[in-house]
Amino acid sequence: MSDTQTYFEIRNLHAETEGIPILKGVDLSIKQGETHALMGPNGSGKSTLANVIMGHPAYEVTDGEIIFMGQNVLELDPEERAQAGLFLAFQYPVAIPGVSVAKFLKSAHDACHPELKSKSSEFLKELRENIKYLEVDDSFINRYLNDGFSGGEKKRMEILQMLTLKPKFAVMDETDSGLDIDALKVVSKGVNKLAGPNFGLLVITHYERILRYIHPDHLHILIEGKIVHSGGPELVKKLEESGYDWVREQFGQEVLVG
Amino acid sequence: MSEAILEAQAADTLPGFDELLFEAIQSEAQPEVLKRKRAEAFSDYIQIATPTNRDEEWRRTDPALFPITEVKRLATLPQLDALPARPADEDFDVVIAVQADGFAIMRNNDTPEKLGITIGSLAEAAEQQPELVEQYLQGKALPAKSGKFEAFNDAFWNVGFFVHIPDNVEWEKGLLIRYNITQPDSLLVPRLVVVAGRNSRAVMAEHLESADDIRFIAVPERELYVDESANFKLVSLQEWGAQSYQITNDWGLVQRDANLNWITLNFGTTRSKMKFGSDVAGPGSAADMDGIFFASGDQHMDQRTLQIHSSPDTYSRLLYKGAVKDVGRSVYQGLIIARPGAIRVDAYQTNNNLVLDNGARADSIPGLLIDADDLKCSHGSTIGNLDPEQLFYLRSRGLDEETARRALILGFFEEVIDRIPQAFIREIVHRNIEAKMES
Repeated sequence: MSDTQTYFEIRNLHAETEGIPILKGVDLSIKQGETHALMGPNGSGKSTLANVIMGHPAYEVTDGEIIFMGQNVLELDPEERAQAGLFLAFQYPVAIPGVSVAKFLKSAHDACHPELKSKSSEFLKELRENIKYLEVDDSFINRYLNDGFSGGEKKRMEILQMLTLKPKFAVMDETDSGLDIDALKVVSKGVNKLAGPNFGLLVITHYERILRYIHPDHLHILIEGKIVHSGGPELVKKLEESGYDWVREQFGQEVLVG
Repeated sequence: MSEAILEAQAADTLPGFDELLFEAIQSEAQPEVLKRKRAEAFSDYIQIATPTNRDEEWRRTDPALFPITEVKRLATLPQLDALPARPADEDFDVVIAVQADGFAIMRNNDTPEKLGITIGSLAEAAEQQPELVEQYLQGKALPAKSGKFEAFNDAFWNVGFFVHIPDNVEWEKGLLIRYNITQPDSLLVPRLVVVAGRNSRAVMAEHLESADDIRFIAVPERELYVDESANFKLVSLQEWGAQSYQITNDWGLVQRDANLNWITLNFGTTRSKMKFGSDVAGPGSAADMDGIFFASGDQHMDQRTLQIHSSPDTYSRLLYKGAVKDVGRSVYQGLIIARPGAIRVDAYQTNNNLVLDNGARADSIPGLLIDADDLKCSHGSTIGNLDPEQLFYLRSRGLDEETARRALILGFFEEVIDRIPQAFIREIVHRNIEAKMES
């Protein structure tokens, strides 16, 4: 895929839930290999955008489109989006009692990569390596998915799933919220392992600190369902040098917590 | 009206299960104590009114649904030398196999003999140890007077087993009792009495099967006596065939510091009415009651549980998980009873139900009857379809909707399946759940 061709693009996206419009014309274009950060105050539609990208049934898209590698994502079921290489790290992952982590990850992996259907032993070997890399306890894989997990464990579990499924494009929905600095470093380490020329990433955040570990190429500010400001590498460089106060001054304290 | 007719009206018998049949049973050769006990039970049976759907207990499951009068009681089952073995038999020291034409007690080794464990038909045990057996035929595990079908079982049982585990015995591999009935229009009335002696430890399993293409009725009764500091576990896997019916009455009596764990797994029958009660009767005793039921097609499953606390410092936990699908129907009625003086009781009852189709229905009716204070008694029940957030989560990871639904349904039951000690039963449970999801 050439650099100029669109990798992931959202055009004029409108979405609502229970009849209430949330997204009111979002435009966003992400090239392969890029990391974008999306910031905005509570209620601006950040999580809605993440869920709409993945196809959550509670949201209805009323206008616009999402194109990923030439495919109209909105026509796909959530599982088809995952199989196409999209991934969402949930803000609040649900607990699924009775479904073990190892079994779930194996079936998810095989569903997303039928061409790589691995033997259980090989799969477990790689899983154990990833678990070690994310500094997670080995007993994790025999536990029920997110069941009884602490907040930090759930977030690591999301990153572990991301490493296992090797998506082409991932959305991280406030994965950094509620993490202490050590956990944040581990999460960033996991993300940076996947980062590269064949990966695209949209980091939704409320906090400045994660941007010190996951360096975005572009920044977007979402307010009331619309992207009100976008900036490229020059802006990022400026912000890194002089801090994010400018964002807060222009768009409000709520947009980005220091 | 002649006197004879008046008398006949006074005796409340189910047609065909009357004096005539009873006399025929009593004329069979059997130990004196059993004959006497049958006679006492028969006199209770004819005095207890046949329940109708006007009785609270039968309001949601009409007794008329059970065609007892259209089937024939299998003649008291004779003991056979052996019946064909099955692979899972090897997991147990002893296996009792029951068919319509007889039962066989098959010993894989002499461990039970060495440990002094009695395993036999009620007749054989009553012949050899009449005093011991009689002690446990008093209905002491029952919290109150017999009901109609308990008296029915005690009078008309046609296959009965007595298991006695002596004090201080640890019985690791235990006993499997498996039933497989293929005789059309037959009635099986199994009676089981198990005694776990003081400080003993044992595990038992039951596997109940009948052919899918025959009409068949089972009216089982089980009495479990768990003596001081004993630890007893029973797993009952019920896979009666598609045209079968069952009415069960099961009771466990748990003495001081003892533990009873009973797991009931109900997949079969077209109509079933099940009652299970435990009484943590001695201080410090505990009962864990776990259950799975899954009603698909037009199955109707009605379960009633009682957690009775007769003593202070007692503990009970109940977890029943059920699913209904197609036009299946389930009823769960649970009652926690704390008797006067039963202080510092800790009791909890949980019944979770998955309703998988619009035509299916689950009723959950929890209840507390508290005659004591200073206790923790509570219940929780849920009824609902699969959680859409869980479904979306799994689908967002690439699992198609059907696979995700299956994973969630199996996962829902896993909490109970995890507690089943026998691997072969866990496998059969998985198979049953999968088959029901498929159908």
